[in-house]
Amino acid sequence: MINLQDMRDTARNMLAKNEVRGVIGYRRSTNGMLAEPVVITKPEQADELIWDPTCFHNLSLYLVEDRKFLAHTRAKADLPIAIIAKGCDARSTVVLMQENYFERKDVYIIGVSCEGTGVLDERKLVKKGIRATNSAFDGDDFVFTTEQGEQRIPAREVMADRCLECRECFPKEHNIVLGEDKTGRQLDAPFTALKRFEELDPAARWEFWDHQFERCIRCFACRSVCPMCYCDECIVDSTSFPVTGQTTADEKANRVKWIERSATRAENMTYHMTRVLHLAGRCIDCNECERVCPVNIPLRLLNNKMEREAREQFGYEPGASIGGPSLTASFLDTDPGKFIR
Amino acid sequence: MSEQQAEVTTDYEPRIVAFLCKWCSSAGSDLAGVSRIQYPSNATPITVPCTGSISPNYILSALKKGADGVLVSGCHIGDCHYIEGNFLARRKIHLVKELLGFVGIEQDRFRMSWVSAAEGAKYSQVIKDFVEDLRPLGPQTKVKAGRS
Ligand code: SF4
Ligand code: SF4
Ligand code: SF4
Repeated sequence: MINLQDMRDTARNMLAKNEVRGVIGYRRSTNGMLAEPVVITKPEQADELIWDPTCFHNLSLYLVEDRKFLAHTRAKADLPIAIIAKGCDARSTVVLMQENYFERKDVYIIGVSCEGTGVLDERKLVKKGIRATNSAFDGDDFVFTTEQGEQRIPAREVMADRCLECRECFPKEHNIVLGEDKTGRQLDAPFTALKRFEELDPAARWEFWDHQFERCIRCFACRSVCPMCYCDECIVDSTSFPVTGQTTADEKANRVKWIERSATRAENMTYHMTRVLHLAGRCIDCNECERVCPVNIPLRLLNNKMEREAREQFGYEPGASIGGPSLTASFLDTDPGKFIR
Repeated sequence: MSEQQAEVTTDYEPRIVAFLCKWCSSAGSDLAGVSRIQYPSNATPITVPCTGSISPNYILSALKKGADGVLVSGCHIGDCHYIEGNFLARRKIHLVKELLGFVGIEQDRFRMSWVSAAEGAKYSQVIKDFVEDLRPLGPQTKVKAGRS
């Protein structure tokens, strides 16, 4: 069991001793049950921190935000910033360091083990008809506070799919870590959901995706929430081609635009294919993209497809090591080539 | 087969966009030409410096603009002008191919081959085979952008 007091004390001490600039963690949101991300910068704020099954956000996103803010304000940070990191958050932090987005010394990782469980999938709780005001970890169960009193539910019934299939529920990369290492407690085999989907024949798969790509409203929430989608200029934006009154028709026609803004099926599809290819070998399955999608596009299937190809065909595990090569900028002599004529 | 279908299959000429590397496959296609080897004219070649320089967006873009099939062709493994470009391409293109299949696009619409500068005959064969495999699939409409 993770002792919340330990987490708060760690944060308080580090801030009091001026060892870090701030601590990225979770606090209670105004929404009642749910946690929300917070950056605390003063020791007395440490008691705001919480740790419960609704801490599903991938906080490494705020390491990226922090770096962008520093760059934007031309500020220099002489102290590291601390982050509360679950296994998946730690893996994405590793990917960011592997890509030299920041250095190891710039962050202090307070790892938290998911131990026997993982985090909540709100949708599963709603399906059970439970309206809770609070949630807590307790061994293999989640305990919810509802109007009818306390309700204890086996965690695996309401956990996020990614947690059920989690390959590493312990943050290997850390400065300190809270909780026990229970890696190997996998409740479902990795890629269970993906395998189920792949049993469909190609025509049925197309029917499924055709519908999904049609539905996407291109709000780009999936991109905004992803710690790996940090490019200042995304391929779907045309910020380097501002159209002004002076822009001629020729210039407009000749600019390179891989993906149009209109949310039509073909453009949406190109966006999603590009997104998932740009994340191949980098996505660590925190599933934030799918969680924030307002219209429930099953993005995890696409992400997982790439992850499994990388693992099975190229022996590549995203977020495994800071110094390791990246998936698409490296190769092995043994890479599959049978498909080439 | 209804009359209309029969008409579609006879009239339909698949359009192929072929990304050919400058050093091998593009030269190979040239050789096919100067050697007067007959092959279908369905492929529009686009020369690129190296298969390793091909972004998945080239492929997606071709499909979006209505190509019925996309070919990527470069130097044999070990012969890359830039030493390792085709190794990188092999990995990247594998992912693209898997992804296209995953969402239900016919895998035969996408093809990769190694054709050296000396293999004019092989190039013509690759195109012939591709056209034959594309024909039964009919026009590609899945990724193609509609103007509706
Ligand atoms: S995916 Fe793994 S590390 Fe991440 S929250 Fe779930 S169990 Fe924990
Ligand atoms: S997939 Fe969902 S989150 Fe992403 S752009 Fe489409 S609607 Fe928005
Ligand atoms: S693509 Fe989705 S699951 Fe993968 S790292 Fe980004 S937000 Fe997380």
